[in-house]
Amino acid sequence: MLPMQDGHVARRRFLATLISAGGLFAAQRAFGSTFEIEPGLDFDSSSAPARTLARYPQKTDLILLTDRPPQLETPLRYFETDLTPNDAFFVRWHLAGIPTRVDVQSFRLEVGGRVNKPLSLSLADLRTKFEPVSMVALAQCAGNSRSLFEPRVPGGQWGNGAMGNARWTGVRLKDVLDAAGVQPGAIQVGLRGLDEPPQPKTPPFEKSLQIDHARDGEVMIAYEMNGQPLPMLNGFPIRLIVPGWFATYWVKALTKVTVLDQPLKTFWMDKAYRIPDNPQANEDPQHLAEQTVPINRMPVHSIFVKPDASEQLRAGQNYELAGVATDGGSGIRRVEVSKDGGQSWSQAELGPDLGRYSWRTWRASWKPAAKGTYRLMVRATTNDGEMQVTEQWNRSGYQRDVVEHQDVVVA
Amino acid sequence: MRHWQTVCALIPLAIAATGLAGQSRAPDGSRPAAVASGKVERITLPNYSGEVPKGPNVQVYEKDCLLCHSARYVTTQPAFSRSTWEKEVKKMVDAYGATVPESDQSKIVDYLVAVRGVPESK
Repeated sequence: MLPMQDGHVARRRFLATLISAGGLFAAQRAFGSTFEIEPGLDFDSSSAPARTLARYPQKTDLILLTDRPPQLETPLRYFETDLTPNDAFFVRWHLAGIPTRVDVQSFRLEVGGRVNKPLSLSLADLRTKFEPVSMVALAQCAGNSRSLFEPRVPGGQWGNGAMGNARWTGVRLKDVLDAAGVQPGAIQVGLRGLDEPPQPKTPPFEKSLQIDHARDGEVMIAYEMNGQPLPMLNGFPIRLIVPGWFATYWVKALTKVTVLDQPLKTFWMDKAYRIPDNPQANEDPQHLAEQTVPINRMPVHSIFVKPDASEQLRAGQNYELAGVATDGGSGIRRVEVSKDGGQSWSQAELGPDLGRYSWRTWRASWKPAAKGTYRLMVRATTNDGEMQVTEQWNRSGYQRDVVEHQDVVVA
Repeated sequence: MRHWQTVCALIPLAIAATGLAGQSRAPDGSRPAAVASGKVERITLPNYSGEVPKGPNVQVYEKDCLLCHSARYVTTQPAFSRSTWEKEVKKMVDAYGATVPESDQSKIVDYLVAVRGVPESK
């Protein structure tokens, strides 16, 4: 059976709706009675609307960026725990033809290309013929925090909630490739999911990894997320896990792994998801970088989760500041917090260490002595000594790792 | 919504069944019963399409753009200059394969500038 037959896609139903009685415009409904104000975000109300909450299947109320294809952001209060609940985990699809129906029995993962023995693996095969492995890893959208860049750039206007930390269970991609037998001359693997382009000329979403990366024993094919099946919108029934790398490589509803002896030529590697070729992914709006490379490992970053913008702060009272620090696999050594705009810093207390690919929660206590406006700041350092930058901009709003601040008023 | 509630009710069953299978190794290759039961997982997407802001050439925008994505792809953007919107429209055609007649492209840019535009920066 061809893998594409397993996935019924939303596009077909959408087209049918469009054709029947102009359904697109007739079916509009008024949502937007609830809004979400996030810490650290300062939206200009004249240019961007307040953000609406939406509830999708198998998900709780999430911040609606776009509905078709869906992009849903996690409200930051879910980041107070070490693992992000599946129903609160952010959602990001590129193409409107997203899978909405998967036959668990007939679904197959096809492994082909430059291999000795092409494989067609059922979900039962994955669960029974390979050693199960488990890992906590941070999934983060390349464009997380994009709305904080100045000048603003086009793209999904994420706050800090396009990420989540989960325990993934599945099999090593290496074990699957070894079972197929990678032939000499292989240089990359191509990775595709069940999602379909909305138009014949739209490039299907496909990513590639270098063969050594794909066989490093850490890249996984996950069939469980926090001990449960993945929600459909997070890649049911299986998705690729590329620990430490941005989630653009974590192909959802993974259905095809192709071993290649030529670099994969695709819009999604050659034109999209590219960053200026320098360590900070930095460039000047007036002088864009000439050299770009595919986005890859996540840099170190840290954010505030508490206080949230609705909290009323009073002088002389104790408050807990809290947040998460993220990086690309070194692990977080230290988080520091400033309450005076960066003049002085004190070390925050780190939450449990769940492994080098996990994020790290942090907390610090604060008792503002007097009324006034305070600039809170947070910065993290990795075990390898990598630190955050103070300024950064790039045309696509990718891999933000700026030291963030949050202005609060103490009454 | 009723359909979705049915799906919700089924999820815990699936979790209970497949969760157990994930914990244990089965060297003999035997299939866990739940996976072999022919279960179909499905969701029904809700409609959050939102309003299409009125503006010049809105019919062209609806015809050429909203086939592949919803209006929220524009309404959630900050205001941008005409040249930024020109690049976005060009990207949709050249990179994403949008079928937009040449004569429509500047009309769409007019619309985008009207609903999410700022004066050109120097």
